[in-house]
This record gives sequence, C-alpha cells and structure tokens, in this order.
Amino acid sequence: MTDARVDEVKTSSKAQKRSFIQVLGNTPIPWILPLALILICIFLYPIIEIVRLSFTNASLVGDDYSYTLSSYTSLFTSPGFIKMLWVTGFFVGFSVLFQMAFGFVIALMIDQGTKRNLVGTVVTRTAVLSAWAIPGVIIGIIWSLLYSETESGILNYFLSLAGVTNPVAFLSDPINALISVTVANVWRGTAFSMIFVYAGLQTFPNDVIEAAKIDGAGAFQRLFKVIIPILKPIILVNLIVITVETFNTFDMVMALTGGGPGRSTEVIALSIYNQIFNNFHLGEGAAAAVLLLVINIALTVVYFRFLEKGSKEGRA
Amino acid sequence: MRNTAKERFINTGYYIGYAVIVIFFVFPLFWAFSLSVKNVPELFATPPILFPSDPKFENYAYVLQNTDVLTYLGNSFLIVFATILFVLLIAIPAAYAFSRMEFRYKGLALIAILIFQMVSPVVVAIPLYRFFAQFHLLNNYISLIAVYVAIGLPIATWFLRGYFDSIPKELDEAAIIDGCSRLQLVWKVLLPVCAPGIASVTILVGVQSWSQFVIPFILLDDNHLFPVSVGIVNLQSTTNAITTHYLAAASIISILPVIIVFILLQRYIVGALTSGAVKG
Repeated sequence: MTDARVDEVKTSSKAQKRSFIQVLGNTPIPWILPLALILICIFLYPIIEIVRLSFTNASLVGDDYSYTLSSYTSLFTSPGFIKMLWVTGFFVGFSVLFQMAFGFVIALMIDQGTKRNLVGTVVTRTAVLSAWAIPGVIIGIIWSLLYSETESGILNYFLSLAGVTNPVAFLSDPINALISVTVANVWRGTAFSMIFVYAGLQTFPNDVIEAAKIDGAGAFQRLFKVIIPILKPIILVNLIVITVETFNTFDMVMALTGGGPGRSTEVIALSIYNQIFNNFHLGEGAAAAVLLLVINIALTVVYFRFLEKGSKEGRA
Repeated sequence: MRNTAKERFINTGYYIGYAVIVIFFVFPLFWAFSLSVKNVPELFATPPILFPSDPKFENYAYVLQNTDVLTYLGNSFLIVFATILFVLLIAIPAAYAFSRMEFRYKGLALIAILIFQMVSPVVVAIPLYRFFAQFHLLNNYISLIAVYVAIGLPIATWFLRGYFDSIPKELDEAAIIDGCSRLQLVWKVLLPVCAPGIASVTILVGVQSWSQFVIPFILLDDNHLFPVSVGIVNLQSTTNAITTHYLAAASIISILPVIIVFILLQRYIVGALTSGAVKG
C-alpha cells in the first residue's frame, strides 16, 4: 500500500468518526444516557428488588432465602398493621387538611397585603418559608423541646396561663403524641402549600376580581365563586404533592417521638424502617414498603393524568 | 371618610393576622435559641424564662469544642456541593433533550421520572443497603452522593425541561444557522438564558440535600462521615435533660447556615419556588 492511500484511508475514517459523533449528538442517547443510568441503578433496580424481596423470607444481609407469600400474610394479619394504617391515616389526613387550609389563608393574606402596600408581608413570608428550609430532624428536636412535659416546658406554661391546671403529657400519652406530631408537621409543611397558592395568585388575572367586585360580589362570594375555582388546578396539584410528602415523612417523627410511645406514632415510613433495621424482618418490612410504593405510584398516576388533561385544555 | 376608617380597620386586621403567623412560625426557633443560652438552673426554672438576663454564649463554644458539630457541617457542605454539581451536569443535557428532541417512549420516560420523584427514599434505601453492603460501599461518599444525585435529578430534570420549553425555538435555529453544534448551542446560547432556572434548581436541590436524612442514616454508620441531619440525631440520643441547652445550641448552629442563606437569597428563593410551583 502506498503512503498516499494510507493517508486517504486515515482521513476518510476520521471523517466517518466525526460524522458518527455528530449523528450521535443529534439523537437523544448521549443527552439522556447519564440520567437514565443513574435512575435505573438507584431507583428502578431497588424498586424491582424491593418487590422481589417482599415475596421472600430473606434477612437484611446474606443470600439465603426462598420465595414465599408469608411476608404479606403476616403483615396484613398482624395486629400492629391496622393500627399503623390508622396512625398513618390520621397523620396524613390532618396534616394535609391543615397545611392546605393554613397555606391558603396565609398566601391570600400576603397577596392581599402586598396589593394594599402593607409593611410586613415579606417578613411574614420569610418566617413561614424558613420552616421549609430547616431539616426535618431539627424540626423534630426543636418541637420536642417545646413539648417538654416538666413544669419548665414552655407550651405547658402557656396552657397553665390559659387555665389548664395539670401539665399535658404531649409526647408520653399515645393520643396526645399523635396530635403533637401532626401539629409539628403542619408547622413544617404549611410553607409548601402557601408558596403553591401564592404562586397561583401571582399569575391571577387581577381584572377578574375587580370585575366581580364591580358586579357587587362580597368577599366570600369572590373567594368561593372566583378565586377558588380559578386556583382549582394548582390546589389539586398541591394536594397530591403534599399527600405524597406526608406519606413519606420519616425524619421529623423519628426525631420527635421515634414512633412512640409504644407504636402510637409509628407512621408507615418509620414502620418500614423499624421492621427491617430493629426487628430484622426484611420480608415484612419490604411488603410494607411495597404498600407505600403502591400509594406513591397511584398518586403519581393521578397527578400525571391531571397534568395531561391540564395541558390538553391549555392547548384547546 | 367612612371608607378610610373601614380600610384602616381591615388593615389592622391584616397586621394582627401577620403578627399571629410570625409568632407561630418564629417562636419555636426563638425558644430553641433561648434554651441554648441558658445555664442548668435556668433550664429548670418555673415559670420558664423567655429572655435569660445573662445569655451564656459560652454554651456555643462548649458545643463546638466538645461535639463533632463542625465536622458534621463540613460533611454536609461537601455532600450538598457535590450533589448540586452532578445534578446540574446530568439534568441540564437531559432536560434539553426532553424539551427539544422527539423520540420514542419520551412520555413514558417522563412519567417514570415523575414516579421516581414521588417514591419514598426509605423504599429505595433498603435494597441499596443490601447491595452496598455486599460490595463494601457503605460508609462511602461516592455511593452516598450517587444516591443523593439520583434523588435530586427528577425534580431538576422536570423543572429545567419546563424552563427550556419556555425559551423560543427560534433561538436554537438562529444558532444552528450560525454554525453552532448542539453542544455549543446548549453551552453558549441556552445556558446563559437559563441562568435563573439553574439558580432555582440549585436552591431546590440544595435545600433538599441539606435536609436529607433517611439515606445517610441507613447508608452510613461512621460518626466522622455523618452530615448534620444524622449527626444531630446522634447527638440527641446522647443528651439528657441537663444537657438540653447544648442540644439546643447544636440545633441552632446546624440551622444557622441555612437561615443565613435563606434570608440573603429570600427573593430568589420565592422566585424559584413560585416558578417551580406553576410549572408543576
């Protein structure tokens, strides 16, 4: 082979290489490959694995196991299961209800205050939002200090000023503890709902309210007939997102009560952890994790349906 | 005249409302601060003391010297910084592809990402623990940060995709005509336009990672590697009633960086959150 021909082959393969890279760059593959790889390794594989483990009698480490349905039967028939559902249901239901209500009212107040040029709206907004930025475990610790049951406990002192004679057992009484955990969670989560509604109000066609005012609609009519219907999509999205968040709550409860007293504040995420890492029942814990996963996915599907519907309506 | 009186009455109502809200949200933090500057007799005083007459700031010195809080904070900074960096490196190109390219299973991929966003970290942490234990990857920052990155990616990808969607495609076409490759287009043309969106993602992922607890709690058991969230729970388990002031001081120290950043950047944070909320 002559030198000239070798050069020719070299340049043509170089040209081919460049065009191959260019072609590849025009396909989505290199752009989404890193994302796909990391999500497959760290989400998809564990999700498949947890479903598989839930049908085994495996322990936390080691490879010795056989396939069985016993995890599910023992999970569903254990007396603690129904109780855990109640605890989780109470925690999620009331957290979501009050976070939505408070978030809505605060957002409306800040929005109206800004329109009235009141001072203090930014301070109020910052105060609420700082709760969102604080790690859940630290919120749990701070609230455990507030709930101190001794006579030097601050909340008990305030209650005594209000005429409550006996100190309240905020965290050592099972029912009180569940209420206390829920209150702390409302404190933590209200910021998120507030910002959702506040964002919705920023995009609000202001003339709509003015028109309603001119038509003689009172404040309540404006709220229920104009503001809430227009904000309905954002309220629904907010509802789904905070419901999922609350089902997944682990850190704050862990630091505040550790699930106690007994198992009276053991919400589902904490229950999964305790089953596996304290009782070493991997199968049963995995079955409970699958239940949480089903809840997560079901809510996401509702969310996605809703997004799709919204974008179709938006285009039409 | 009657109207202004009515307006003033309504405004007063708003101010009272603001005061109630601010007290409800700030008081827990104030109480933790108040406890953190007390001595033992003041901790147990009845009625409780709101403003200690002689604040004991030496409690903070004690906590800094006798606990690992500074190590925890340093670890948190390292983990959060690395997480944000890798999330952006991975999410920006992916968001570009989801916004500008058409391909099969795109819708399916997007719903999968949304599902991952909603999946509880506890659920994935358990199989990952087994997997990492097998390959000696527990107590390892590389595997830990990979999990943090994975948890930050879904929201970052969705958010940035929304941001790219809001940029007119004419900008891409003009750049291509000028002879830009796709890489140059993203790097030189789209990124500068996206800067506010990237700042928002940085804030969202930063706060999420700083608060992350379940993942390091399960994947780490070496005290020197703990981020602040796990470290403080560790500290809580070793404190008792007469060291409450130290626990309170450690809590204040560990939220101080977040609060400072928060107050400085609060305008941008509200922007980040509101645009995130509207885009879903």
